[in-house]
Amino acid sequence: MRLPIYIIVLSLLFISCEKVIDLNLGTNNPTLVIEGNITNQPGPYFVKLTKTVSFAEASVYPVVNNATVIITDNAGQKDTLAYTANGIYKTNALQGISGRTYSLTVIAEGKTYNAKSTIPQNVVLDSLKYNPIQFAGTIIHTVIPIFVDPIVTGNSYHFVIKINNVLDKTYLVDNDNVTNGQVYVRPLFSNDIEIKPGDNVQVEMRCIDANSYTYYYTLSQAQTDGPGGGTTPTNPPNGISGGALGLFSAYTTQTKSIIIP
Amino acid sequence: MPRFLSLLLAVLVFISSADAQEKYTISGIIKDARTGEFFQGASLTIAGKANIGVISNEYGFYSLLLPKGNYTFKVSYVGYSEAIQAISLDSNITFNWELVDKNQLEEVIISSKRKDDNLRKPVMGTEILNMNEIAKIPVIFGEKDIIKTLQLLPGIKSNGEGGNGFSVRGGATDQNLILLDEAPVYNASHLLGFFSTFNSDAIKDATIIKGNSPAQYGGRLSSVLDVKMKEGNNKGYNVTGGLGLISSRLSIEGPVQKDKSSFLISGRRTYADVFLKASPKFSDSKLFFYDLNAKANYRINDKNKIYFSGYFGRDVLGLGNTFNTNWGNSTGTLRWNSIWNSRLFSNTSVIYSNYDYNITIKDNETNFNINSNIKDWNLKQDFSYYANPKHSIRFGFNAIHHTITPTRFSGTISNFNSKKGRKGLETAVYISDNYKASDKLSIDYGLRFSAYTILGGDTYNIYNNGVKTGTIVLADGETGKTYYNAEPRITTNYLINDVSSLKAGYSRNTQNLHLMSNSTGGNPTDQWLGNSYNTKPEIADQVSLGYSRNFSNNNYEFNTEVYYKDMQNQIDYKDGADIQTVTDIEGELLYGKGRAYGWELLLKKKTGRLTGWVGYTLSKTERKINGINNNDWYNARQDRIHDLSFVGIYEFTKHWILSATFIYQTGNAVTFPTGKFNLNGVTVYQYASRNANRLPAYHRLDFGATYEKKKPGRLFQSSWNFGLYNVYGRENAYTITFRDNPDDPTKTEALQTSLFRWVPGITYNFKF
Repeated sequence: MRLPIYIIVLSLLFISCEKVIDLNLGTNNPTLVIEGNITNQPGPYFVKLTKTVSFAEASVYPVVNNATVIITDNAGQKDTLAYTANGIYKTNALQGISGRTYSLTVIAEGKTYNAKSTIPQNVVLDSLKYNPIQFAGTIIHTVIPIFVDPIVTGNSYHFVIKINNVLDKTYLVDNDNVTNGQVYVRPLFSNDIEIKPGDNVQVEMRCIDANSYTYYYTLSQAQTDGPGGGTTPTNPPNGISGGALGLFSAYTTQTKSIIIP
Repeated sequence: MPRFLSLLLAVLVFISSADAQEKYTISGIIKDARTGEFFQGASLTIAGKANIGVISNEYGFYSLLLPKGNYTFKVSYVGYSEAIQAISLDSNITFNWELVDKNQLEEVIISSKRKDDNLRKPVMGTEILNMNEIAKIPVIFGEKDIIKTLQLLPGIKSNGEGGNGFSVRGGATDQNLILLDEAPVYNASHLLGFFSTFNSDAIKDATIIKGNSPAQYGGRLSSVLDVKMKEGNNKGYNVTGGLGLISSRLSIEGPVQKDKSSFLISGRRTYADVFLKASPKFSDSKLFFYDLNAKANYRINDKNKIYFSGYFGRDVLGLGNTFNTNWGNSTGTLRWNSIWNSRLFSNTSVIYSNYDYNITIKDNETNFNINSNIKDWNLKQDFSYYANPKHSIRFGFNAIHHTITPTRFSGTISNFNSKKGRKGLETAVYISDNYKASDKLSIDYGLRFSAYTILGGDTYNIYNNGVKTGTIVLADGETGKTYYNAEPRITTNYLINDVSSLKAGYSRNTQNLHLMSNSTGGNPTDQWLGNSYNTKPEIADQVSLGYSRNFSNNNYEFNTEVYYKDMQNQIDYKDGADIQTVTDIEGELLYGKGRAYGWELLLKKKTGRLTGWVGYTLSKTERKINGINNNDWYNARQDRIHDLSFVGIYEFTKHWILSATFIYQTGNAVTFPTGKFNLNGVTVYQYASRNANRLPAYHRLDFGATYEKKKPGRLFQSSWNFGLYNVYGRENAYTITFRDNPDDPTKTEALQTSLFRWVPGITYNFKF
């Protein structure tokens, strides 16, 4: 979570121009994508199985509807998910509990994929604070999630924001490497949707495990563009054995909203 | 060490006692008659004896041992009239040469030191640029710049617009040893790479060596860029300066005591922020850099001279109180030249060098500071021993104490401040011999023996494939592991005939400091790391083969070289590495190897109204690092297949000089998505091989024009320099990013960002 300072500087200094170009990126290797979420809130929880498509194709993803999807936890619960529709599989009775580790097994098209994730202890989101920042003659309207990071190290957070009910696509993740045990004070900077007075900003705070943090942090690195083009992008490490893309993430969740004055 | 010294002594005695004929030495200093500046690389030859000669060293000193007799000596240096003197050598004599500036003859010269120097010297992959040559070549914003000019030579590639630094023969940015008066400069760029830290008014010359460096240089894999500051005129006062659109310069030089001591002070500052402030939107922003070069020297007596030179430069960037960042280098060099006897020249240097950056982020109630720094103390002792006309020996030692403080956070919201500075000691001894084996064959061979010792004061973790397996605590004063490396170097030159020669070389270089960057272009916040228990010295072995041919009475010079370079212990971040906040960055590193190979061609026209060169490089550079790209070879980010440059300077009339440069390069190696998927409502891209894609080819044409009306006899001289960057407004890709089509969410598209189309520049230069 850092200011895209170089882009700001460059745009201050020089006239840059943007245009949409045609690139021949070839065809991809269609790969299974697992989107699995378990939270500390009452179920059911969902696992979605799709496949990647080539960059040039329409963003319509083939679904995988004949897979076996099983979630177990380290307390002996086991749930074989039922297929619903659109590639989505649903848990039956499983309940997510903080501190437990959940294991996902997907058997699809003759291959087996495994992933694990732990629901961390919940950190209470106290409130949201409006935080205007004077910046180059304008005001950037930001929101700070107020909470106290626990004394133990190793907490990671993922903030999912919606502005007037529209999902912001910025990856906002942070951990307590630098600010362990303190009141959180860093504003959430969006580089997708500009926040304006009167907007309803909804912040969902998720306490995530280290694997999910690395996944989203890698995606966030690819979103910021330094001189020459930011970090070399890559498929983020996701801890899924068998070579599937996507993420199986267990987390706690809380949501609060604020109206920008 | 004693064994090394006794061996050295034996070699010296052997070489100097080769034959017993009665011999005497002529030695002295070669310098500019007007300013007293000495010349590096001026050549002294003897009429009628084409194969005997000597080149002056970095301090203008030369020495030649000859049989008793009468000789006609000739001394020449680029841009200066040749001096000729008949001398009867019947005792050891000291003779200082003063050369007269040829500029009064209004000639434009692009050439090597001696017209056919390229054929005779056992050096490879080496170019010397002096400031007169650089001044006429158009560059962005009309600010003449050594590094921008170097990038027009084969084998040297810019990291791109907005990129930071340059790449030599497939090496990384941090693999260039950049020296300013012997002091290492850790970040040679200003303003995110648009300017170099070298203020051309304060610079005498710059030498770039592409890997086959002599044994006195060490510590980096790819190249040496050795930049020398001017000494300051010791005969009279001079003021030079320039006013440009984006920056201005002013230098003052002169004697303290005539012929005995002199000084030079030179400053430069950009004022982009002055324009920014004119707009109310940016009234509270800061954006500038400045450089200050200062130098003084004092001649104690005929045999001893001391020099002090200092550099201080800083970039400042701020937006109100919210966000402030600054970074910069400072260096200081104290040198003592001593002529021990007519054949033994000594230079002792004590050097200080510092690079740091600071970022401050202030909010309504909190503030937050990020900083990092690298500080060196460096002692160098170098001897040149002119044994006889066949052997010139250089030997010496070097010890550098490094203190490297990694990125640290502090401020009201942080309690994380436990990262300590790490210390290391880098030492080396070296010896080399420039041996003229015959009229046709000359060989420069040498050995550098280097060591790096981890010094105490911090805790070192040991990792195996990213998993911590052990810890070593080194208390203050303790020493840890020492890495040793022997670095042999050899370059041979065989003169086929009067117009052509063949060269071959091998060299090993090692590197103990490593710049860690996870962005493709480099940021001022990238951090340096020393060797540790995980990170080992990088090693490069380079073999190269070259051929030179001169045409039409040395007016045209053609040089070509092929090289192959093998690199060990290369370092990169693992996928998803967090480099800013992680407690121990070493847990985020992966290690592997690299290879680079290429073919370089350079054709120069050195005299006449039209001068310039055409350079072309065909090359490849790859890395193989376990944990990246499925452990397969991949293109390094600086890999470019074709690189073509054209530089032309045309003396249009007596007052107007026109110039043009054109470059064409394969686009940088980048990673584009091959596919995509949706995760929790957001499009995520799928990648295949690393750096398997290319940005579109980069090409650009620049024009420059210099108007100068010499006023004979007048003290005040001035000139105008006009430039137009990117004449045909090519939209070169700076980045290409990918996004959902804003109008149709079922589609994704590629978005290209370009920085500059036409950038004009005007600079007014004056001197008096």
